[in-house]
Amino acid sequence: MSGKASALLPSDARACSASTARRFWRFDFRDRIRAWGFGFVLPTVVFFAVFKYGPMLWALELSFTSYDMVSQPRFVGLDNYRDLLADPIFRETLVNTLVYIGGSTVLITLVALALALAINTRVPGARHCMMAMFLTNLMPIIAVCLVWRFLLHPHGLISQLLHPLGFDRVDWLTSSWTAMPCIIFVTVWRFAPYFMVVFIAGLLAIPDDYYEAAHLDGASPLQRFWYITLPLLTPMVFFVVVVAALLSARIFLMPFIITGGGPGNATRVLSMLIYETGFSYLKMGRAAAISAVLFAIMMIFTFLQMRFYMGREEAYIR
Amino acid sequence: MITASKTAKLSTATISRRGLMRGIGAAGLAAGASAVGRRAYAQGKAPVSLAFWTFDNPQQRPWLNKRIKLFMEKNPNVIVDFQWFPFGDLGKKLSVGFATGTAPEGFVSQDWLMPIWLDKGLISPLDVTRLGYSSFKAFTDDYAPAFVAGATKDGKAYGYPLWFYGYCNYLNTKHFNQVGLDASNDWPQNWEQLGEVAKRLTIKDGAKFTRQGFKFAMHAAPWTMIQFNPILIQCGGAWFDANGKCTVNNAAGVKAMTIRASMAKQYGAEDPADSIATNPLPQLDWFKERVSMFFCHPIPPTLIKAQNADMMAGHYYREVQYPGVETGRGYSSTYGFNLVINAQIPQDKQEVLHDLYRFIMSDPVDCWNDTAPFTLARKSGWVDNPAVKAFPDIDQFIEARDRGVFLPRTLVYNELADAMHRAVQRIMLNNADIKTALDEAAAEVDRATAAYKRG
Repeated sequence: MSGKASALLPSDARACSASTARRFWRFDFRDRIRAWGFGFVLPTVVFFAVFKYGPMLWALELSFTSYDMVSQPRFVGLDNYRDLLADPIFRETLVNTLVYIGGSTVLITLVALALALAINTRVPGARHCMMAMFLTNLMPIIAVCLVWRFLLHPHGLISQLLHPLGFDRVDWLTSSWTAMPCIIFVTVWRFAPYFMVVFIAGLLAIPDDYYEAAHLDGASPLQRFWYITLPLLTPMVFFVVVVAALLSARIFLMPFIITGGGPGNATRVLSMLIYETGFSYLKMGRAAAISAVLFAIMMIFTFLQMRFYMGREEAYIR
Repeated sequence: MITASKTAKLSTATISRRGLMRGIGAAGLAAGASAVGRRAYAQGKAPVSLAFWTFDNPQQRPWLNKRIKLFMEKNPNVIVDFQWFPFGDLGKKLSVGFATGTAPEGFVSQDWLMPIWLDKGLISPLDVTRLGYSSFKAFTDDYAPAFVAGATKDGKAYGYPLWFYGYCNYLNTKHFNQVGLDASNDWPQNWEQLGEVAKRLTIKDGAKFTRQGFKFAMHAAPWTMIQFNPILIQCGGAWFDANGKCTVNNAAGVKAMTIRASMAKQYGAEDPADSIATNPLPQLDWFKERVSMFFCHPIPPTLIKAQNADMMAGHYYREVQYPGVETGRGYSSTYGFNLVINAQIPQDKQEVLHDLYRFIMSDPVDCWNDTAPFTLARKSGWVDNPAVKAFPDIDQFIEARDRGVFLPRTLVYNELADAMHRAVQRIMLNNADIKTALDEAAAEVDRATAAYKRG
């Protein structure tokens, strides 16, 4: 190769490079646009590969190892997953997580939709109410959790408000029956107003003509909601359900600060267990296995949601 | 200054050939010697950069920082990057540091983390002679037995101790007086007395406690361990048997937990669900006089003053020893902090760290003055100082340190603490059966031990 190159005369080399340049510019316009497009997208792709998918794949790899952060990881096959199945704390925490995701997602969606419908009636002061409710999203989560911890104290404000109704004392956060519903309630209080805004955007996009036509045809408000509003809000509902579920699956600070996972194990969720297993017990392999289980649950959930809503959307289109 | 007459003398002096040769030789020798001297100095005082991590505490961290700054002033070639982290985070930061190769050269280790560092070979044995002790025996003789059990292994010291302290029963003497008790004579010396006195101190308004006679901490797993550990040992129990199996669920464990639960269930002297304690201020209920008695580590007077100025001004509190299963023979948990050296660093840095640690601990009275009432682990060099002797109830603190039992030294300490905390919550808050809850905790700990042994 070098012999051939050295055999080329300078004039030949110039001709060669000129022809390469011509070949490049012989790409048609669409190819060049595509090349530029790839060029612009490349930093983002690299970012995702290095900081998102890379760590995810590494975590998956870790889940098949025993790794205490100070020694070298050691391959153990499926041992971490087998141990999880045999661990009652993991099973209990998994059930807690599913209850939390289910409860939070359903309530967030229903409350957000109800609030959006109420705001959309455009009664005087509705916009101010919307702003006031949205403020719950602007408060630092730690402050929110601490305030709720004091409000839900056995002799806190909420117990005092309920006192005239005959409730002498309610152990909101220290009873295993009420602790998880309280955490779900605080979650809904915080996040429902955010999703309310999403629903309001969806409601405003529905043309008034549909409602006027339905009204002329004698449809009741409930029928108008059921046959016009809800079908046209389906994409929003799908978005809210999926995002709220993903948000709930990753929740950490609320149970961590409000109850610390207690009483007993009543409010411990998988993200807390991942943190404790990895950073407190130094079992990174096992923590990665729990992460993989949580990821799998969310993938299945999202996939089922997509199937359900896509199917419904196609049915409406037909 | 050379004057004109001296210049004249110099110019007139004759220089012989031999004298010239001597002069050149002497000058060469002097130049050579000075060059050798400079090289030796440079080798000895080459710049050394060290990272040093500790936990945050309003008194202890500033004192360490002060001593390190002083050391750097005396040794300008040594640069110490001093960093600190919240108390509970230090262990996690260190683990991540070791995993990523960014662990500091030296750090303060809580003594319950020592078994993990030792098991993984992450900390280096210390040269006690470089720390100023004539032998290993002289070193161990100078410290509380509970400390020695945790910081030494196979005849070698791995930790150079800073503070080491036991817990006392903090009494609100004003509350004692209000119910006709004299805190000096009527302080509870066994668990039954504690229950009876606490019951007498308790004030209730229907289901609500206006004042709890006594309170066990419920806010965090480490406190659950610290407060339950001495009851278990006093009842003749142990955390593990010789084979490493968790034995907290045997008869002694059940007896200990029954005593633990009796304050609420038998004597009605505390409400486990009613507390305003937080991790930074576990004693908050006691400070705010919602509680009359509380087991706690030495509390700095400045903290009492900040939280309850009246209590400080009237000095209506005092510290006494723990109750015992046998009257008057109570003892508490003790724990402390060690200066340790990362085993992965070169020998020359280890030597500098030895010198740094020796310097830090070379003035224990200064340590006491800045960090009182946190007792030092060492016995010598500070206890007889008048400033120390004048501190109120200092004897109680030192007695608690010397009589105390150490926290379980196990490789699954965090798992054990979390399992016990869950068990206590189930028993105290959800009325779970004591034996069943302890069986679950023991099974959890055994699973963790088995997993650790598998690697």
